[in-house]
Amino acid sequence: MRPSRREFMRWSMVSGISLGLSRLASADTPSFLVRETLPGRGVPRPATGRVDGVAKVTGAKLYASDFRAADLPGWPAETSHALLVRAADATHSYEGLDLARLGAIAKPTVVVTAEDLDRIGTRVPSFYAGDLFCPVGKTPLYLGQPVALLIFERFDDFDKARLALRDGNFLKFGAETGPVAVPNYAAFRFTRVAGATPDAPDIYSPIQEGWISPGFLESSGRPIWAPLPVAKGGEYVKGAVFGEKIRAELGSGDPALLTLDRDFETQSVDPMFLEPECGLAWYDAGEGDLSIVLGVQSPFEAASAVAFLLGEAGDGFKPKRIDAQFAYVGGGFGGRDHTPFPLYVALAAMFYPGHAVRLAHDRFQQFQGGIKRHAFKMRTQIGVDRASGKITAFAADHVLDGGGLMNYSVSVAVVGATGAIGIYDIPKVDVTTVAVHSRGVTAGSMRGYGTLQTMTALEVLIDEVATTLPIDPIAFRRLNALKTGGRTMAGNPYSVSVRTREILDKLEAHAIWQNRGVEKAGAKPGYLVGTGVACAAKDYGTGADCALGTVEIAPDGRISIHGDAVEMGNGIGTALANRVAIHIGGIADAVTVAQVDVFDALELFTSGDSYTISQAEQDTAAKDTRWVPAISSATSASIGAHVGTQAAAEAARVVFRFGLWPAALALWGIAPTDPRAKQAGEAYWQDRHLIMTGLSPLPLEAIAAKAHAQKGVTGAMAHAFSRWAWAQATFDIAGEAWTGDIDALAIRRGGDAFTRLDRSVVAFPPADYNRIGTAFSSLCGTLVRVEIERATGLLRIASAYSVLECGQALVPEVVVGQAQGGFAMGVGYALLETLPPFEDGPGNGQWNLGQYLVARGSDLPLHDLEIEVLPPLAANEPPKGMAEVVMIPIVPALLNAIFDATGHRFQSLPVTGAMLKGALA
Amino acid sequence: MTNLALTINGRAYGPMDVRDELTMNDFLREFLGMTGTKFGCGAAQCLSCAVIVDRPDGSSYTNPTCIVPAVNFDGKSIRTVEGHASDGALTPLQTAFIEHFAFQCGYCTAGFLNEGQVLLERLARQKVARADVEATIAEALDGHLCRCTGYVKYHEAVRAVILADPGRYLI
Amino acid sequence: MKREWRIPVLVLAVMAINIAAACLAGYTVSATTSNALASPESFATISDPAKRSAAYFTELGKVLTNPRCTNCHPAGNRPRQGDMSRLHEPPVFRGPDGFGLETMRCSTCHQDANFEPGRVPGHPEWHLAPLEMAWEGKTVSEICAQIKDPKRNGNRSLQDLVKHIGTDTLVGWAWAPGFGRTPAPGTQQQAGALVAAWANSGAACP
Repeated sequence: MRPSRREFMRWSMVSGISLGLSRLASADTPSFLVRETLPGRGVPRPATGRVDGVAKVTGAKLYASDFRAADLPGWPAETSHALLVRAADATHSYEGLDLARLGAIAKPTVVVTAEDLDRIGTRVPSFYAGDLFCPVGKTPLYLGQPVALLIFERFDDFDKARLALRDGNFLKFGAETGPVAVPNYAAFRFTRVAGATPDAPDIYSPIQEGWISPGFLESSGRPIWAPLPVAKGGEYVKGAVFGEKIRAELGSGDPALLTLDRDFETQSVDPMFLEPECGLAWYDAGEGDLSIVLGVQSPFEAASAVAFLLGEAGDGFKPKRIDAQFAYVGGGFGGRDHTPFPLYVALAAMFYPGHAVRLAHDRFQQFQGGIKRHAFKMRTQIGVDRASGKITAFAADHVLDGGGLMNYSVSVAVVGATGAIGIYDIPKVDVTTVAVHSRGVTAGSMRGYGTLQTMTALEVLIDEVATTLPIDPIAFRRLNALKTGGRTMAGNPYSVSVRTREILDKLEAHAIWQNRGVEKAGAKPGYLVGTGVACAAKDYGTGADCALGTVEIAPDGRISIHGDAVEMGNGIGTALANRVAIHIGGIADAVTVAQVDVFDALELFTSGDSYTISQAEQDTAAKDTRWVPAISSATSASIGAHVGTQAAAEAARVVFRFGLWPAALALWGIAPTDPRAKQAGEAYWQDRHLIMTGLSPLPLEAIAAKAHAQKGVTGAMAHAFSRWAWAQATFDIAGEAWTGDIDALAIRRGGDAFTRLDRSVVAFPPADYNRIGTAFSSLCGTLVRVEIERATGLLRIASAYSVLECGQALVPEVVVGQAQGGFAMGVGYALLETLPPFEDGPGNGQWNLGQYLVARGSDLPLHDLEIEVLPPLAANEPPKGMAEVVMIPIVPALLNAIFDATGHRFQSLPVTGAMLKGALA
Repeated sequence: MTNLALTINGRAYGPMDVRDELTMNDFLREFLGMTGTKFGCGAAQCLSCAVIVDRPDGSSYTNPTCIVPAVNFDGKSIRTVEGHASDGALTPLQTAFIEHFAFQCGYCTAGFLNEGQVLLERLARQKVARADVEATIAEALDGHLCRCTGYVKYHEAVRAVILADPGRYLI
Repeated sequence: MKREWRIPVLVLAVMAINIAAACLAGYTVSATTSNALASPESFATISDPAKRSAAYFTELGKVLTNPRCTNCHPAGNRPRQGDMSRLHEPPVFRGPDGFGLETMRCSTCHQDANFEPGRVPGHPEWHLAPLEMAWEGKTVSEICAQIKDPKRNGNRSLQDLVKHIGTDTLVGWAWAPGFGRTPAPGTQQQAGALVAAWANSGAACP
């Protein structure tokens, strides 16, 4: 097994620290990269399965939590252990850590506090603004805020201190101050008034007018939604006037209109990925190298954040180079995308130079310090024309609790708000949203990202509308569903397929729906049976998503792929291998993921913020052919298949077109002037053979050897960027103008090094697209039948069906698996999981899985859960994101089924057995 | 400190002095570097840390390691995820896990693999009726938490191994 | 001593009105004052022997209805855990012998002694009381009738009960349950003394 290529890269950062790579493996210990290159050459494995299959069933070292210094060639032999001490109080002034008492149990070698950070001059990246450690004399900003980092040379001392701190109180607090007051994180208003006909332009929409925010009351920090008296400028007033008019109509008492006005609350939950956050780092002071091993969803961001943290640090605390290595991740669900944890890992190493230091949460600490899902309070009003059954207007007000640090609260607020009308076409919409600070644990990214909350409220309301009118719930949805070309709440149409009608047809025809009456009537004595339906349209992508990918083929036909997307269970490595195989005929046997530092040949640089850049700035920047709007994205927002594989797929197309195809022509003896030489698109692969009608199939190995022999393109490295559309660029390859959905390209000929190609033309998606809420959406509908025991309130899911569409499924088995897993997570969210805010919540450091219940096998209909994935609309329909949408409809479907069974409509989550028992009493 | 000697995947370890409070999980992961056995909750709630313990009579059971002192394993013989395959040859259960795409992130896989393997070994001694296969698997695996998969494919994989060898497992 | 002395007086005062309420009030009053148990001697002021006997049991009821006892004397096949008496996680079941199912025996986690790093309680005989001995959700009166009934107490004589509650080491765990679990009221010795006083005074039920 040879180590995959991982070239030295100097990566210039604002801070002047270069991010780069590490040494190669010594002879006996495999390097990190060798371990993480899967499935690995020569490793026997079943014919089907994930590229990481063998590694994961044999317990190979793969996750960040698996690595100790001794496992990494060149690192110190021993591992020291760090412990983050967090405050379980956010209403009293912090007065220090009782080190004397702790020291009697286990004395830390190093103690790092706010004072130390001040002394060395660290900077906190703006995304994590707030003290990394609560200084003495200040009230902690939030429950679970770190106050100190302790480092122990030996594991036993660390372990003793961990238990002592878990079970005892070593933090001193002074006067009661109440919680720290912090302004709201953000407030927005999304208002749309459609024109008189579907074809007419909108009278008002966010995409036409821009996004608007209200003013705030200085006294309380509360947003002022009314257009007067102190709204922020004329833009707000204009939108708010339309918004208030919609509300007035909803409140007019028009008898022709059915109006419902409901409150709905959702709870805070934990992503509960199974591998708690952890990292390992070592600062070699002599060389000035900081080496760090992490498992995150956002590798580029984590490395950049560490570089920023230390970029202005004083002598001995500013590394010359950061070598960040990113491991396979034991579950993410958003909760490992942009967390401050890597900063503490880096600090642990910087404050104990020459030693490898490990920082790892246990589960109590992960509950206390990990990112949570936002709890929402929502008021929703809907107006439906009784005669036609058409929804005429919709208004909602969302308040979401962002917890202690801003993190992703602003964007969760936006995504939740713009997702609030789900699958529907509603001509008048007015949604306000405000993300507030609280002393709770920080909320951030989590699967569903605000839309889980708002679409649950919506789909429960829709069910009530259908019951009240009355009209069949599926017929009502069909009547009001957004059609292809119809406009979203922001005012733009989706630019991808919209298959609501098909999904609704599937739901309607399914036996669970058809038999709902019979099943209800035939309930066992003492039991209630009900059936529920719901449908969700979830955006994927963030409006500035990018991917890096390299594809190489060796003379013997072996394929290697490098990508920057992260494998956290999503099957991205397998998706990369499968998507590349479509173009170059073979499944790679060396795939690396989460790599951000092997693309130096592209010489990329970026400037500005791709979400807020102006058109003029973008046009100017784009003149430099090395500039891209963003370099590498987090693996989140369901972008794995769509974005994460894009660069590698485009690279594979280049390898085929300019390496394998010319080689095949040579082997077939077809001259370049022969018309067939232009028919590359007619050829296809089967069983590692290239097939072209009328010619002998050619084995991949022979083609690869020929491509190397004639110095064709045998490797390509690409960068792709999407702002609701791909950036496109044209490159001169072998004298031909080649246009692809990429904005940077480097190629390798034969066995040469990679060389960058200048793009001759580039078209970045317009900056105005940043006003789009989303242009990409996938759909999922769910049916569920429940059985509730009257006496106990015990609920059993008898049967369920989810139908989804995701364009081309790159790894169909993973798509089904994600749908099953999303279903389970939805069941947990609807029925089991909840974290109280504040002092009784996870910030107190006492939460674990005995108290926090996630769905087990026995909570699920393991043999009665049917998943159907619609085939792509066309052979060339690209992959669409589906990881989030699959967890949404089960939540409202369960509530609707509970209503069908019990006649009780719950307006908050979770609905526990005790609540059901109470409702039935 | 207490003396500890045990057998892991057929290999003898110890005797060595071990702190009484050290968990078996930390002993495996921090002292032996055997990180195939995972740490998930530290409270025996998720069972991602379970290993197989072999009884002298040839029967086996799983035991979580995160809440049991290492010293309590003195004299015992255990198997971990690293010990299932021999010379690169995967067991039928490992193969089934891969072929069924049973896991996603894979962090709970060692626990499910050990539990499934113990179930297979029990059924080989004590066959089960075809009609009881699903319930038997459900009961055996229910202690294990998985956040990615919804469990369906784990169950299908274990069932596939049982049904593929009816003479061995079924009445 | 003064505090302990007052409790039976309060109990007595209420008992004159309603026996059922007396159980509740007696329990409530002493539970709110402390996690202590009154001694048999402190019931001397109750002159009616049957009422005094019943009062001993009412006091003992503080122990028997404590989560340390009821969690493993559950009404169903799943034990509960913690002071909140949540259903045991992971889901475990009593199994044919009360020591768990073959797939998950109690002893795999509950070893010979409490293990604080994992916050797991332990005892060599960790298991569930048989279903007929279920106390969960029962009143002290119901438990009293049940505990005297050899068919529902493991065929124990009154003196067996004195020994079981007063000296059995698994019962004794309830007074040393480890971090995060409130011990049963009083001491095992005090509980044993109450059982003895109750048994020796005719074992009347409240």
